[in-house]
Amino acid sequence: MREAFNPGDRVRTTTFDPPGHTRLPRYARGAVGEIVERAGNHPRAEDRARGLPGEPQPVYHVRFRASDLFGSGDHTVTVELWQDYLEPLTNHDGNAAP
Amino acid sequence: MGVSRINDVGGMEGFLAVVEEPDEPPFHADWEAHLHAMNALLIRQGVYNRDEFRDALERMAPAVYLTASYYERWYCAITTLLVEKGVLTAAEVAGNGHGAADA
Amino acid sequence: MSGHHPSAPIAGQVRHIENLLEQRGVIAPGEIDHRIDALLAGGSPLNGARIVARAWTDPAFRDRLLADANTAIRELELSMGGGEELRLKVIANGPGEHHVVVCTLCSCYPTTLLGPSPTWYKSDAYRARVVRDPRGVLGDFDLELPADTRITVWDASAESRYMVLPRRPEGTDALTETELAALVTRNGLIGTALV
Repeated sequence: MREAFNPGDRVRTTTFDPPGHTRLPRYARGAVGEIVERAGNHPRAEDRARGLPGEPQPVYHVRFRASDLFGSGDHTVTVELWQDYLEPLTNHDGNAAP
Repeated sequence: MGVSRINDVGGMEGFLAVVEEPDEPPFHADWEAHLHAMNALLIRQGVYNRDEFRDALERMAPAVYLTASYYERWYCAITTLLVEKGVLTAAEVAGNGHGAADA
Repeated sequence: MSGHHPSAPIAGQVRHIENLLEQRGVIAPGEIDHRIDALLAGGSPLNGARIVARAWTDPAFRDRLLADANTAIRELELSMGGGEELRLKVIANGPGEHHVVVCTLCSCYPTTLLGPSPTWYKSDAYRARVVRDPRGVLGDFDLELPADTRITVWDASAESRYMVLPRRPEGTDALTETELAALVTRNGLIGTALV
């Protein structure tokens, strides 16, 4: 799978809550963040947890403001996420609450 | 938000202060080191993969997960997978934990 | 969860499983002992301290380390381990900038390089709290950062493993690389200490 995002891109994480194993932490679901860096290509953890080889897909470091995640805090949290978890954010809804 | 598993604790409220143990050794007991090595070997041998191991940890009953020590969780996950993968039966796992027949 | 469970029953259970796996030929006799020896001999915070001291004394190495840590640490004859090598990402603290590492979903840590992580790093309390309240958690370690220091928490949620490159302390210009390495602590490599 090709890389869909570049450093600096704004993204929103999925709100999908899968029934099994996932590597998208609950606190970072449905949140708006910024791509910091690419982190290689890896099979999805969801597939591997079911014993499947999984097709490699891009992984990114994505930075979130704590205030966007928790409603408070002046720090940032950088989470490492598979491309599947992310959708592009267009400018007009950039400030919309999840 | 939904059905997150008990391992997904990031941001959760109510936990107490983090306590550091001075001069902590790599392992607190031999069995912890043995479990650590056993898990690495089972993954290397392809009995299961890292994500299947994490998945097995996450499937623990929440109350058990929260009260178990770190390596007690590992014991639970490893034996769950050994049974599910058909390497051992549940009866064999439960068979003798006290060392009488297999000491 | 206290982290202290040297209880006899579980020790016997682990031995029981180990015996069964050896009888079935899943694990060769002695292999577990070899693996433990290799882990304890290979992984240590001292490795991280050597990397940090080199980065403090050699700016070109520091650049290489931050760009591609897996390749750079081979210059010190270190590696992230055989087999499927995990990506190591080194994050540098700077003036007004502090990083701290966690794995909220499990306990990801560069174990082959730094040895087993401390119990507090694996605790539910650390994993739950540090993403939301890093200043509070750093306070548990008696680390109080200036109010204008920007803190970034790195959650090891996928395939990278993280190590913090602390700032070189003031007044250490005269120290050798070996003496500098002796200043670096395991907590400094995670971000719960300044060095």
